[in-house]
Amino acid sequence: MIELIQRRRGLIAGIIAIILFGMWASTQYEPRVLASILLSGLTLGALYFLVTSGLSLIFGLMDVLNFAHGTLFMIGAYIGFTLYANPRLLLNTLPFGLALVAGWILARWLPANSLPSGHRRPLWVAAVLVGLFAIWNFELAPLATTALSSGGRVPTEQAQAPTPIFIARALGLAVAGVIAGAAFLAGREHTRRPERRDLIVPIILLALALLIAPLRLTLEEWLLSLDSNTRFLLALLIGAGGGAALGGLMEWSLIRPLYSRPIYQVLVTLGLVFVGTELVKGVWGPGGYFMELPAWFSQRGPNCPSPNLIAWLQDNCASIDVLGRPFPSYRIFIIALGILMFVGIAVLLRYTRLGMIIRAGVQDGEMVQALGINVRRVFTLVFALGAGLAALGGVAAAPFLGISPGLGQEFQLQAFIAVVIGGMGSFTGAAIGSLLVGLARAFGDQIVLTGIQLPWMSEAMTFSPSIARASTVLIMALVLLLRPAGLFGKKE
Amino acid sequence: MNEVLLEVDTIHTFIGQFHILEGVSLKVRAGSITALLGRNGAGKTTTLRSIMGLNPPRSGSIRLGGEAINGRPAYEIAYLGVGYVPEHRAIFRDLTVEENLRLAERKRGDLARRSDFIMSLFPDLKRFYRHPGGKLSGGQQQMLAIARALVPDNRLLLIDEPSEGLAPIIVEQIVAALRQMATETTILLVEQNFALAAQLADEYYILDDGRSVQHGRMADLTRDHATIDKYLGAG
Repeated sequence: MIELIQRRRGLIAGIIAIILFGMWASTQYEPRVLASILLSGLTLGALYFLVTSGLSLIFGLMDVLNFAHGTLFMIGAYIGFTLYANPRLLLNTLPFGLALVAGWILARWLPANSLPSGHRRPLWVAAVLVGLFAIWNFELAPLATTALSSGGRVPTEQAQAPTPIFIARALGLAVAGVIAGAAFLAGREHTRRPERRDLIVPIILLALALLIAPLRLTLEEWLLSLDSNTRFLLALLIGAGGGAALGGLMEWSLIRPLYSRPIYQVLVTLGLVFVGTELVKGVWGPGGYFMELPAWFSQRGPNCPSPNLIAWLQDNCASIDVLGRPFPSYRIFIIALGILMFVGIAVLLRYTRLGMIIRAGVQDGEMVQALGINVRRVFTLVFALGAGLAALGGVAAAPFLGISPGLGQEFQLQAFIAVVIGGMGSFTGAAIGSLLVGLARAFGDQIVLTGIQLPWMSEAMTFSPSIARASTVLIMALVLLLRPAGLFGKKE
Repeated sequence: MNEVLLEVDTIHTFIGQFHILEGVSLKVRAGSITALLGRNGAGKTTTLRSIMGLNPPRSGSIRLGGEAINGRPAYEIAYLGVGYVPEHRAIFRDLTVEENLRLAERKRGDLARRSDFIMSLFPDLKRFYRHPGGKLSGGQQQMLAIARALVPDNRLLLIDEPSEGLAPIIVEQIVAALRQMATETTILLVEQNFALAAQLADEYYILDDGRSVQHGRMADLTRDHATIDKYLGAG
């Protein structure tokens, strides 16, 4: 018994601290205030979790500290918002990306041995020139700025290039992709011979690109005519998918060559924060946007706030009554999304082969490789998964926090703190850490708002607003004193 | 004599800036057990890792069944039928015994097909099938590490120090298992315990300071005390 207490002293101390804090909080606040603080904390915790889960998986499996994870969160928010409010921007750029990738893949059918490595550099230059020529004079600004002035609801045809020119650009980029792919393959031995069925992917991509081109206007109108709920779900899906694609691309192109040089990796991800932020400013402008809530979470009327969750399902009020205090229903949705993702990832890790490979790879990636598993491919997949989760968080946060180029930084910092509290590389730790950080922020905000009433003082003690932010760092310091590897971290 | 399954030809391997293997050559015949002997630091483990593709050699060639495999990534080499049982076992501690074995499947059904054979060699694994690998004893972990290499159809097994740190009774069990395995596959074995290696192996190679210096039939080496003293210390 004593031995058990000694072994679990961190856990026991934690539970005692939580109980004491709970007792103190319940004397300090009325139940309904306490309930709404807790729910706010859970909301923040759920958002942090979407960032930390990916961060922690990526660190655990490949030892990469991804400083750009918050940037992916922010870009996810922009992509989702763009689909929601101004799909024109996506519809007019997506075909280019698809064509480029299709061309890249098609390069594998070139006779590989005819390309010695000496051709590599001129081929890269040619690819860049052809690519630049293809998008020469392409105007991105009008596509993006219309969203700012009109919410993207007026389909102005003059913002879009005529279809033949557009298709010519896409084909030009496909050619650039082929040349770049050839440059990539030049002089490489041991590339697998492509089979006929490998043709399916590039052909689908190219077909999609060529199909979207003439249908851009129709698709845009169709998307904007959808009700806000459907568009919102699509925004979540496309935002997460776009983030995942960016994450996969990032791992494959920038992180992978640097696995033997971890310091450079950190620098690359740090640099990507600036590049990503500036790119977003370049495309969407430095100002922020506000994403409207979909209809599910924005009804107002005589029977609002909804008395409970069941009633909300019918009246879709903007807020739900929690012990006599209205609480925004959208935040409940964020909590639900966080729980759903937690369960989803837990199931993935526990019951699928990919999850098994991840758990094994966290411990010994080399041995996984020696068993005949292409760990590099799993790395890319997990990076994409983590980036997709962060981007999903970004879209979910958009209607609640607003969208701006600085959105990612704050989340990045808090997510790092949460990961450290939970223990680097531990999935459960990431969840608990996020929850703690979220609750600390919520309680911190409340304390700043009302101060703390101590029995021996006549007036409430007040704090500066920075205490809310400092509280999470304080918790981190405490946890690290008790358990240097974090709550669920394993000692190496 | 059987045909040569693995042929390593003057490989040079670096770890970081250190030149670890300075010309190792060896041949392993199909269906035999070949022992790789030598002092600590002679390059035995690095040789296995070079073959496996974990420390690819900078020069020289490695052929498996006539096909060059040097320079290929480890997972492809594994797919060609090479199983690796590393030093210190390297089982996955957080995964159950079952998951450890399932991870080694290269195609669906490998484990189901081989399960009976594996469990007959190592009955302990059946008993702890759903326990995490980290909860097993050292000997059981070694058994699991070997069993993992038996799940797919491997042509060649690279086994590094299977007896290290284990009680004699466990070592006996593992020796019996290796004998049994040698009837259906080929083994390249690194073993510090000379008596044990002598008992198992058909042929031997001695490494000294990153070079292969001598080889021959194991039966001849056991009588050659001069060589044993010179390269294997107080063997």
